[in-house]
Amino acid sequence: MGWIVFFNIVTPWILAFFIFYAKNDKVTNFLTFLTLPMLIIFAFLAYINHSYPLISTPEFLDYLIGVYDFGLLGYFLYQGIIKKSFLVTSLAIIQILFLIIVLLMKNYSDTPDIFVDNLTKLFYFIVALVGVPIAIYATKYMEYDEKEKHRFVAIIIWFLGVMNFAVSVNNIEWFFALFETTTLASFILIGFRKDEEATNNAVLALWMNQIGGVAILISLMIFIHVNGIYHFSDLLNHPASVSLAGLGFLSLSALVKGAQMPFHKWLLGAMVAPTPVSAILHSATMVKIAPFLILRISPIIKGTLLAKLLIIATGYVFVVAAIIALTQNNFKRILAYSTISLLGLMMLSAAVGTPVAVVASIILIIFHAFAKGFLFIEAGILEKAFQIKYIEQMKRLIEKAPLTLMFLFFGFLNMTFVPFGTFIGKWLMIEEASNFLSHGSYMILILYVGAGSAFLSVLYMKVLGVSVRKTHGISNIKFIPLPKRFNFVSIWYYLWLLALGLFIAPFIADFVVPVANSITGAYAAVTSDHLTLYVGNSTLYFWQILGAMVILTLIHALPYLVKFKVDTVHPYNCGEVFPKYIGTFNFECIKKYENILIAFSIALFILVVVLGGGLL
Amino acid sequence: MIWLIFAILAPVIGGFVFGIERKVKARIQGRMGPPLMQPFYDFAKLMDKRPMMIHSLHALMGIMYFVAEWFALFVLFLGNDLLIAVFFHVLAVLALVIGASSVRSSYSALGALRELMHMISYEPFMVLMVVAFYLVSGSFNFKDILNSQAPIYQLPLVFLSFLLIIPMMLQKSPFDIAEAHQEIIGGPEIEYSGPFYEAIYTGKWIEYIYVFFFVFLFGGSNYILGSILVIFAFLFVNILDNSTARLDFRKMVKFSWVVLIPLAALNIILLALWR
Repeated sequence: MGWIVFFNIVTPWILAFFIFYAKNDKVTNFLTFLTLPMLIIFAFLAYINHSYPLISTPEFLDYLIGVYDFGLLGYFLYQGIIKKSFLVTSLAIIQILFLIIVLLMKNYSDTPDIFVDNLTKLFYFIVALVGVPIAIYATKYMEYDEKEKHRFVAIIIWFLGVMNFAVSVNNIEWFFALFETTTLASFILIGFRKDEEATNNAVLALWMNQIGGVAILISLMIFIHVNGIYHFSDLLNHPASVSLAGLGFLSLSALVKGAQMPFHKWLLGAMVAPTPVSAILHSATMVKIAPFLILRISPIIKGTLLAKLLIIATGYVFVVAAIIALTQNNFKRILAYSTISLLGLMMLSAAVGTPVAVVASIILIIFHAFAKGFLFIEAGILEKAFQIKYIEQMKRLIEKAPLTLMFLFFGFLNMTFVPFGTFIGKWLMIEEASNFLSHGSYMILILYVGAGSAFLSVLYMKVLGVSVRKTHGISNIKFIPLPKRFNFVSIWYYLWLLALGLFIAPFIADFVVPVANSITGAYAAVTSDHLTLYVGNSTLYFWQILGAMVILTLIHALPYLVKFKVDTVHPYNCGEVFPKYIGTFNFECIKKYENILIAFSIALFILVVVLGGGLL
Repeated sequence: MIWLIFAILAPVIGGFVFGIERKVKARIQGRMGPPLMQPFYDFAKLMDKRPMMIHSLHALMGIMYFVAEWFALFVLFLGNDLLIAVFFHVLAVLALVIGASSVRSSYSALGALRELMHMISYEPFMVLMVVAFYLVSGSFNFKDILNSQAPIYQLPLVFLSFLLIIPMMLQKSPFDIAEAHQEIIGGPEIEYSGPFYEAIYTGKWIEYIYVFFFVFLFGGSNYILGSILVIFAFLFVNILDNSTARLDFRKMVKFSWVVLIPLAALNIILLALWR
């Protein structure tokens, strides 16, 4: 087992190293393609291996990581000084001081430092299946008037390795090191274009994520001081005595990493970077650390005041981010807000912590990763091949870029509509919350989920509505050939989403439920039989899944295939002159409340730490 | 079995309901009104017309609206989870909105956007209502609800709110904002003609069955009470339709979010605490 984990973590680092120094097109393309089967095989080997999840590592590694921590924080300090950012500098200094305190306080523990349970294996799969195609996509994307292709691809693949490492650690001090390494990777990637805007946004991402690092260090100090332990598995073994304040700070770092309001600005700023960066930050890596962390600690925080406050805060973000997304007109910004929103839902369900809620959270993580990666890939294609960035420019996209629109359409359908995973996640959450309702609690959860999902559906339909508009009867759809690598990645995601959507019942019952069971230690009542999904007493029959699938397939793909042999006419439009351009609602009326909404989220945020952490 | 027949016959029954509604509406306005079978005469006439379309996508979406609406009804009657049926209804809205936005007609596009505003207003409420049913009967299966004590006694405020949500779902005044005949000439429907309009038209009939079935559920095991509630809701909606003027869509969304949804939530919380 140890070697498999080692290969999962180290393969991307080695390949990235070669790509970085070879600086050769052929090497880059070949090695990137090679990463895909290699990581899938290693993830699969880890999956079928059922040995003991805790793995010991040689002692020197612990020292090495300590040294690495100081090097990393020193680099942040250096960046803070040369970028003249007071926040980055001071946060780096604070982290260095806290780290010294932690290292001095730390007592020897013989708990192994690597912890590879089912949740980790799931993340290996997500990184391999969702993350690597983005690197393949980047090899082509960077050939469109961008510089330093090899360096870029190498950093992305290295990032995947960092992510694999981050989800396998048990020692929270190591987790801090990896948490800050993902911060470093995002800092480099966001500032990749090196212009002023990119640098500013990279610095923003750096200091915001450093707050998360400080929070982890504080929680480490509390854990060591109060409980004398600093491993996830130790925390899970002593659920009753673990300090709530430490858990509160740990959740704070998750909220920061998961770009929850008011810390959502860094994720929005990430869109100035080349699009693969957004794709990778939103789907497989970085922000997914947030629900991962909450899932790790969910058995301990379940039912506490901290969990309830987390539910209130993240559910609030789920709704409010969806509302604010309605006012945006930059396509990547819309996608970013919908990520923030859905991350809120993932953390909400992870914080609820019952078996079914954990299943819902995992389903959301998986499907969001696939769908968001897919959508950002298509956004990048729109940007590079069609020069489209805003939804006003997306009008009549169905004529300009029919295939890309079809993929976008399918991605959007995956984000909210019936048989797909995101819907199942919401459905499970509502059913689960309804069970609690008999004690009169969790009412707000149902309101959050109902409202948020309605707003997100409206958002997606609004964007689609603009892009399907066509001229008169004569349809002249032009298929512009796209680069092979773009098509490969698009079809890769498309087929995965289609297959997962169709076989969702056995997928959930056989793959997701064991993961959830190993997290909660209890049995989640989700089973499948003949492609039909059973959740408690409720059933999602296969004919329903199939019917919805057929209807949605017809809606999103058939317009290109079906040609009715019927006379065409011009639109009636009440006999008036045809408008040159029909806009869409921009929800200007919501914009003026945006600051109030964010201010309220700050209040909730403080409540989570202060009340939830039991600091008062 | 009976539910399967009911689901298959839904368009016919919906047509009759529509015919009765036209009759009732005419009587309220002091007219004779068309014969009861008028919707079916219209059906025959529209099917006989020369089919014309703007483009295939638009025409196809009209048909998909009908298919999705009908399928949602099958899910409602043959499935065992009301919540899923509520989410399936969104598919029909999707088809309608995509179709209506795909033509270069300002009325149609505006209607599609307003349709979305309708959805924002009633969708969260529907979820809340199903949860309220669950609280009463302990199941999401409508057959269990039909075997339990009438939910109306425990959910009076939810029922009251639902009475005012119905006009939003069926496009009745004061909330006929997406259709708005005098203002945007039918909104999403304006560009359909002939058989394709027929698909949209029949889809609306099915929507009647869909909505009034939820009213019927408030009667629980007391089917007579359920029927009375349906008739009452039907008359109430029609009288409201004939006696009010159209509101702005902002007012609709505000009304739903500030009054109706909190009212229903209050009912659910009080009920949960009471028991």
